[in-house]
Amino acid sequence: MWGDRLSQPLLRKNEKLECVSWDEAFDQISKQFRRLIEAGKTVGVLGSARATNEENYLAGKLARVGLRTNNIDFSYHCLCLPLFEGLEDVCGGRLPATRLNDIASSQVILLLEGNSAETHPRVASSIMKALEHGAHLITIGYRRTQMARLSSLHLFTTPGKEREVICGLLAAVLELHRQEQILAPVRGERYEELWRNFEKVERTKEFRQAAEWVTRAERATFLLACNGGGGDHVRMDAAAFASLAAVTGHLSKTGSGLLPLVAQSNFRGAYDMGVTPKRLPGCERWDDAQARQRLQGLWGSHLPPDQGRLAEDLLQSANGLIVLADDPPAVLPKGEQALAVMENLELLVVLDAFGTRIARQAHALLPIGSFAETDGTVTNMEGRVQRLRAAVSPPGKAKPGWQVLAELCVRFGVGGSFGSAKDVLHEIGLAAPQYAEVEQRLADNEWSTAVVENVDGARYSVPAPEGIVAGLSSARSSHVLVSEGSFDWGRDPLVMFSPTLNRDYWSERKLFPRGFVEMCQRDADALKVSVGNRVRLRSAHGEVVVPIKVCGDLKPGVLSVPYAFREELAGVLGRGSVTAVSIEAL
Amino acid sequence: MTYTIEKRAVREWLQKLLGTGEVIAPVRGPCGDVLFSTVHLPDEVLWNFENSLPPPKQLVLPQTDTLLKINRNGDRYEIEPTYDDARRFLLNVRSCDAKGIAFVTRMHEMEPADASYLRRVANLTIITLSCKVPCPSGFCVCTGSGPFLSDSYDLQLTELDESYLVEVGSEKGDSALSSAPSLFRVATEYQVSQRKELEIETKKHFGEETCHFASAMRRISTGRVQDSLWEEMSEWCLGCGGCNLICPTCYCFSVKDLGNDGAWTRCRMWDSCQYAAFTLEASGHNPRADRKQRMKRRFFHKASAQYYQRDCAVGCVGCGRCIKVCLGATNMPAVIGAIRKGKWND
Repeated sequence: MWGDRLSQPLLRKNEKLECVSWDEAFDQISKQFRRLIEAGKTVGVLGSARATNEENYLAGKLARVGLRTNNIDFSYHCLCLPLFEGLEDVCGGRLPATRLNDIASSQVILLLEGNSAETHPRVASSIMKALEHGAHLITIGYRRTQMARLSSLHLFTTPGKEREVICGLLAAVLELHRQEQILAPVRGERYEELWRNFEKVERTKEFRQAAEWVTRAERATFLLACNGGGGDHVRMDAAAFASLAAVTGHLSKTGSGLLPLVAQSNFRGAYDMGVTPKRLPGCERWDDAQARQRLQGLWGSHLPPDQGRLAEDLLQSANGLIVLADDPPAVLPKGEQALAVMENLELLVVLDAFGTRIARQAHALLPIGSFAETDGTVTNMEGRVQRLRAAVSPPGKAKPGWQVLAELCVRFGVGGSFGSAKDVLHEIGLAAPQYAEVEQRLADNEWSTAVVENVDGARYSVPAPEGIVAGLSSARSSHVLVSEGSFDWGRDPLVMFSPTLNRDYWSERKLFPRGFVEMCQRDADALKVSVGNRVRLRSAHGEVVVPIKVCGDLKPGVLSVPYAFREELAGVLGRGSVTAVSIEAL
Repeated sequence: MTYTIEKRAVREWLQKLLGTGEVIAPVRGPCGDVLFSTVHLPDEVLWNFENSLPPPKQLVLPQTDTLLKINRNGDRYEIEPTYDDARRFLLNVRSCDAKGIAFVTRMHEMEPADASYLRRVANLTIITLSCKVPCPSGFCVCTGSGPFLSDSYDLQLTELDESYLVEVGSEKGDSALSSAPSLFRVATEYQVSQRKELEIETKKHFGEETCHFASAMRRISTGRVQDSLWEEMSEWCLGCGGCNLICPTCYCFSVKDLGNDGAWTRCRMWDSCQYAAFTLEASGHNPRADRKQRMKRRFFHKASAQYYQRDCAVGCVGCGRCIKVCLGATNMPAVIGAIRKGKWND
């Protein structure tokens, strides 16, 4: 039913992909990779946030033991990296998480919006349940989204200026602590230092109201959308937001917590499995001596000594690449560029269920089962390991991904014998301490088990306040263009190949094949343009001509482009996700 | 005619039915949930269970329903309709779900009648198991679709002390008994009165969910529901379509040609009127682009007098599934209540 399923191993021979046996494919792949490695060329592996934990774990092991490199990453990680670094500054190594049930029973929810009702309906559902029980929802964002419309308090910002609001809230919280002698989690000299830095930050009536609610709540959850976009401001926004959770005492309290809202279903699993150059399985730093020793003992092999490259960098520099169910052109901000550089790869091996765009460029194409055709586990955003059972067999000669990777591991001399997905999970339990009991807990027909606990109260640290306040500026421009979200709905393989799900996408592309920008009615009236009329946008980076759509959620001066059309507007956006623009009607 | 069958004889009867056709009944899924599924042994069938989350509607209206085969033959196309004529028994279906199937069948019987659907239903024998314990979120008493039925079944079973009372509602029901006539005895007057008492007693134990369709119908059918109310309610909907997919009376579909170059099957697939693209036109125009318009349409179809006259029933059987699955707060009792009172969240 889903188009373009891959069902045969294929090898490129004389510029054409030809059907081959699995053995021939494995032989060729291992032979050619060996040749590259012996020639000292750069090789690496891309895992995926839509592959299972078992697949990702084996992909990581294949890279670090088989290919002797830390060049292991996944595309979506690049997109969220600044956000995670910001959270890491405050929370330490592991990604913080909050259970959906905790959100539903929160008294206060602080939501730094993307558009969570669209991107994370399960989270939005928990927020609604909390609202029904009388919770206060505070939203921060430049768009009056569905959640903003349901909120008790919506704090409008200009895109890129979210930190002004967060710092205003921090200042209001610290002020409340000072005025009412509340036993705050941050005390003494540390508090005084914070207060000195935030004393002069503007505090509005709304900020004080929000601070009052958050400070006095027994249970409060902090939800942070991942809007993509690189640069320090995303990292600082995230650090400031996590600091707010920490300063109000909700970061480490049972029933409270912080949850980053990322796209793609097994993001947390891929991160936990060490599918990033900076982390080993279990989220420990790649250069942590103790963790390295433990893994070396388990894997019976020395770990590569050099730091690996991130996906974006790896694509530019690699000669040989194994890609597991990842699709850089659909995920990365510069997707088309990624596709173009991948054409130059000497050896590209793709493991996927679908004929993605990079699959068409592959030198070897290995068909694997989709989520419904494989056993395994995924770790959802709240840190719950969920079990997948194969409901149907993969089509044709396709095999479950863990099996293909296990066979590749054998060809590359990687130790371990994996007869089933369960065997892989068993080894994950040995490699990643927090997964130690997962196998046992899932054994008795349980479908899920939690592996993420609250951030350890003793471990988090509020960064130096200048790190949060720095760069706040009051400079305003007439219009700001923002690239919205971090998920290309129409190009994600699970959506693109589904005839039902892709209609929304096609409807947009059908009317606006080269993209559009959204603006409010007032801006459209001022420019004397209506839906479909073209405008010229100019920024420091360049200019583009693009049609407009009118949207009631935006304020005057804000122009928004969906992530799907980021490349059509790359000329004005530059590398970031927010830029000042001037606009004229054509 | 009304019969009884000893509980211990049921196994033998099911064995006979299994020899006559496919038996679909509630079974325990791998994680403990209840599902309607084909059974191979009588012991797999559940007799004491909370109703399944997906209704057995998919038996008459499969999620992907092949209607035609299309083959290219040179420069010609050959089209061949496909029919599903398998004989099936749907066993231990709850009253609300039997009413749901009756509702969907009435719709497909209207001109132009849907031959594909009707042939499948013609071979289906519906054996209901009346509910002695109401579901926690059920409100079938408000929609006349339970806990016991007076129509819409071929056989209705009611659990008595040591036996099941078997009410025959159609010739198909009679024929399902004829495979093992010796197992059934004509019910005594006492046994028939026991069933009536059970029905009265069960109705006393319904939960708090109520759904006053009559007064909502008056308002919704006469344009008295303000657009602002639809807008306010639609803020509490996340547009997931879950309510449609688990509703025993929803039948919205879209049509797809699946297959490869030269050979296709034309399929009817479930769809949701709550999805933005459901009413999207080829031009790109969408007459119901806003969620409030889609929501208004859904509840107009479910509860307006116009549709009541056409369908002889409201488009709800009170199963309470939408209360369980709604990610937001716009389940049937909540919305009908708001329409009736003219305000949301009072």
